[in-house]
This record gives sequence, structure tokens and C-alpha cells, in this order.
Amino acid sequence: MKTILQTVDLKMIYQIGKVAVNALRGVNLTVNQAEFVAIMGPSGCGKSTMLHILGGMLKPSSGSVLIDGQDLSKMSDGSRTELRRQKIGFVFQKFNLFPTLTAEGNIRLAERIRLNGNHKNDSERRREILRLLNLEGRLNHKPLELSGGEQQRVAIARALVGSPAIVLADEPTGNLDSENSQIVLKMLQELNGKFGQTIVMITHSPEAASIAQRVVHMRDGQIVNK
Amino acid sequence: MDNLVTANLKQRPIRTIISVIGVALGVVLVVLMVGLSHGVLQEQGRRNSNVGAELLFTRPNNYGPGTSSVLSLPVQYAPKIAEINGVQAVSPVGQYLKPSNQSFGMEMVEGIDIDTYQKVTNLSIDQGKTLSEDNEVIVDPIYAKDKKVKIGDSIDLFGHKFYVSGIYQPEIGARIKIKLSMMQNLLGSKDRCSFVFVKCQTTSNQEQVATNILSTLPGNKVLFTREIQSLYEKGLPAVNTFVKAVVVVSIIISILVIMLAMYTTITERTREIGVLKSLGASKSFIIFEIEKEALLISVLGTLLGYLVAITGRWLIIKNTSLIIDLELKWLLYAALVGILSGLIGALYPALKVANQDPVKALSYE
Ligand SMILES: Nc1ncnc2c1ncn2[C@@H]1O[C@H](COP(=O)(O)OP(=O)(O)OP(=O)(O)O)[C@@H](O)[C@H]1O
Ligand SMILES: [Mg+2]
Repeated sequence: MKTILQTVDLKMIYQIGKVAVNALRGVNLTVNQAEFVAIMGPSGCGKSTMLHILGGMLKPSSGSVLIDGQDLSKMSDGSRTELRRQKIGFVFQKFNLFPTLTAEGNIRLAERIRLNGNHKNDSERRREILRLLNLEGRLNHKPLELSGGEQQRVAIARALVGSPAIVLADEPTGNLDSENSQIVLKMLQELNGKFGQTIVMITHSPEAASIAQRVVHMRDGQIVNK
Repeated sequence: MDNLVTANLKQRPIRTIISVIGVALGVVLVVLMVGLSHGVLQEQGRRNSNVGAELLFTRPNNYGPGTSSVLSLPVQYAPKIAEINGVQAVSPVGQYLKPSNQSFGMEMVEGIDIDTYQKVTNLSIDQGKTLSEDNEVIVDPIYAKDKKVKIGDSIDLFGHKFYVSGIYQPEIGARIKIKLSMMQNLLGSKDRCSFVFVKCQTTSNQEQVATNILSTLPGNKVLFTREIQSLYEKGLPAVNTFVKAVVVVSIIISILVIMLAMYTTITERTREIGVLKSLGASKSFIIFEIEKEALLISVLGTLLGYLVAITGRWLIIKNTSLIIDLELKWLLYAALVGILSGLIGALYPALKVANQDPVKALSYE
């Protein structure tokens, strides 16, 4: 089984004035290709910090992060952005769609960034994803005209543009009612099953975590065995 | 559809309109001020050089744009000049700059001695009859058309009623001409004029004639009418400085307006910038998106500016005696001012936002 993501002794210290916050204290995590991993742990234990580092949004204080064989921790800001463009798809708790654009506009914008505008060769996959996420009828609506569940499905479709190696989701059902949570979770599971999409998902809900193949527990900036 | 730029501009219509107006303001200032200063100068110069006489005799510092309008040169010079070697004919002329009757701006009136004047210039009476009575005035066809005056109509000058006796050709000097003797009476400057036109026996001899005049009557000034045009063009450094100041102020206005608009826009959209970064958008992509927005505002502003400037020019020319030049060169220059200042104004906000920490941007409320 191919390793797609690996961290070695990953540490992150936030310096706020004289106070140093040890958000990550040596995380060793390995994720295989096509794996669906859930990350759980109490608030403030460093889950989001780790996810941001995995996606190249944040530079770790020490340790290394290998994404598809490339070491993020040694890269410049520009190279990390480029790696993120090619290999990472983010899904956030607050959806974070562009409010002025329609659902389709949001997806097209992502295509413009991630595929440098040539979405031709991806159109078959695109249609399949939209069908799977059941979004075909909602494409001309702006985010405010969509339900939370629909917005999150658009955000997932956007994250999948350009076939990223890994989808990183930070509490994707955190802002959804249980019904919509169910729908979104089921879709993530299908993406993983049908497309072999690697997913790392932070969640507080044991129910959500139960759909993953593996659950990783964190506490005080470290991975722990439950 | 995936165009953040137009979506953003539509999202905040009032701010977009204000920014566009800000840029337009700069463009209008440049087009009108430059056009006005050049138009007035060139127009004046052109009419003055449209003369048959080769030379213009006057007191030092007593001719050209912006000089005093008091008649200061004794007419007695005229017969003395007429005797000088190479001179064919002379004619004393009085010039007086007065506020326009109809509106803003100034109007030039000339007092001429029609008989000698026609000997030194190509002036001919096109319609009506020549200037013979004290209360008569002749005008050129442009004045007649602009001010809608016909032969027999009256014009108020120096508090007197004058009647249009004829329309002359071509445009020479002031558009309104009365008798010099009448002007002297009205201004209380008996036996004085502003300058004397000198016609040489042969045009090719004019340099020699000028030298002869100056050696006979030293301490005075002789201008070549062929050079008056360029004299007007470069003769007024003060006007040029003024025009430059206007251009600089316009650029600053446009830069500040765009900078402010872009700054508030990006602050409002910090979170969106964070999302763009999470999608893998590079710094240059983000800078480019913001510059595109500024460019669109600048282009719209420039177009609006043209529209207002051209309409304004038309209204000013129609309602005042001001002349505004509209040169392609200056229109392009104004566009450059509008667009460049837009791009420059957006640069600082764009750079600032492109260098923002993506995680902080995402958590911005
Ligand atoms: N930008 C920052 N500056 C300083 N400290 C930070 C910053 N971001 C996070 N922290 C601190 O780092 C620690 C880990 O935060 P993190 O957001 O990763 O936790 P989390 O596990 O995602 O929590 P939650 O479940 O509430 O989202 C916390 O103590 C937090 O206060
Ligand atoms: Mg978190």
C-alpha cells in the first residue's frame, strides 16, 4: 500500500509575545493512499494546526511532512502554495464559498486556479462528481440561496477540482444539522469508496468518525492510543 | 461566471460608482485644463500670425499673452517707422482685453485704422460695409456665428452700443474691431496704441527691416509675426507649470480613490483571500485579480471622464468665449493618467493582501 502522507516528529510552537504555546509536540502520522482517516480529540489539542501544516498553509516549527514523497517543511512559501494547488483539497467547517459567485462560479474559479483554466479534460469526472454530490440542479444558485448541506456539498465539489491527492476536511459537519451531516458523510464515504479519494477528516462526532476506516486520537499536541 | 472582479464590483455598486467618478474627475481635469490653456494660447497665436504684415513694433514687454491692456505706445511712432528703409506700410493697432459680455472668460477688442490696416493685412470686408462711423464694429465670421450676430445688430462694448457694419475675412487678431480713434477716446488714451503692424516691401527682407527699425528707434521691440504662434506656445511657463500641477493633482486624486476603494474591498474580503490561498492561488494570481478590478474601474472612469470632458468642452465653448483644444495626444495622456494611477493605487493593497498569512485570513470574521 502506497504512503501518501507522512509526518515525522512534527512540532509547532506558537509564540505570542513571551508566551510559547506548544500546539504540536511531535506528531508521527502515516496515511496510505485511498485511506479515510478521522482525527478526534478535545478542543485545543492541535487538530486544526496539524491539518493546516499538512496542507502547506502553515510552516511547522520542526519535523517533516511528506506529501506524495515531497517534503513540505523544507519548501518555500511559493512551493508550498504550488504543492497545495496540485495535491490538496480543503473542506472547512464554515463552507467558505465565495458569496458573490454562484455554485458553478465557485467551482469554475477553483478550476481556473487549479487547472490553469483547462477544464476540458476533467469534464467527465466533474459531471460524475456533481451527480454523486447531487448538485446538478443547484449550480445556478448563490451560496445564500442554498441550504447548509448544499453549500458544503458545493465546497466538497470545489475541493475535488483537479483531483487532489488528499482531501483535508476540518469538521465538515460541524455547522450542519444531523440530517445534512448524514448526507455529507455518506458522500465523503462514497468519494473514498468509488474514486479511492484519500481523506483526512477532523471531527468531534463519534458518529462521523465511525464512517472512517481508521480513527486517530490526539491529546495535547500528540497522537495517543485510546 | 467565475469572475470575482465583476461580481465584486456589482456587489458594492455605490463604492464602484464613487471610485469610477474619482478616476473620471482626474481625466476631466487633465483634458479640460490642458485643452483650455493650450486652446486659448494657440487660438490667440494663430489669429495673430494670420496677418500680412511681417513685423510687429511695440514696447519691450508689451506684447504677448497676459500683457496689460492699457494702450501705451504713442501713435507717433507709426509715421517714423513708415520712413525707414524697406518699410512699405504701417498701421497702429490698439488691443484691449475685456470681460466677456455673455459669461466667463475674456474677450479681445481691437481698435484699428481701417485704411492703413487693410494696407498691412489681408483683411477684406466679406459682407456689409466697412468701418466708417465711430459707433460701428466689424466682426469675423466665427464671432458672428458663435454669438449669432448679424449686420445691423448691436454689441455692447465699454458701456456703449456699437452696430455691426460688416463681417471681415480672414481671422486676424481680435474678433471684434472698432475704430482706433474711438477706442482711444473710450479708454482715455489719446494718441496711443498697443503696437504697430509693419509691412515690408519684400518679405525676404524682413530681418534687415527689423534691424533698421531697431537702430533708428532703439529701446523698442520688433516681433516677427511668423514667430508669434510659437511665442504663444512657449511663452508662458507659468501656464505650463499650472497645467503640470493640475495633472499631478489629478494623478494623486485617482491613486488615492483607487487605493481607498481597494483597501476597503480587500479588508472586507480578507476571508475570501484566505480561501483563494487554500485553493492554491499564488501571490501573483491574487495580485492580478485585484489589479484587474482596479483596471476595470480605471477604464470605466476614463470613459466617463472622456464623456464628461467632451460634453463639458462643448458646453463651455457654446456658452463662453473660451477655446478648448482637444488633441488626441492629451486624450491619450489623460487615459494613461487614469489607468496608471488605478494600477498604482491598487498595488499596495494587492501586495499587502497577497502576503497575508492564509490561516489568519481564513479565521477573519
Ligand atoms: N495563530 C495562533 N496563535 C497562537 N496560538 C494558536 C494559534 N492557533 C492556534 N493556537 C493554539 O494552539 C492550540 C491548538 O489549536 P488548534 O486550533 O489546532 O486546536 P483544535 O484541536 O483544532 O481545536 P478545536 O477542536 O477547538 O478546533 C490551542 O491552544 C490554540 O489556542
Ligand atoms: Mg480546530
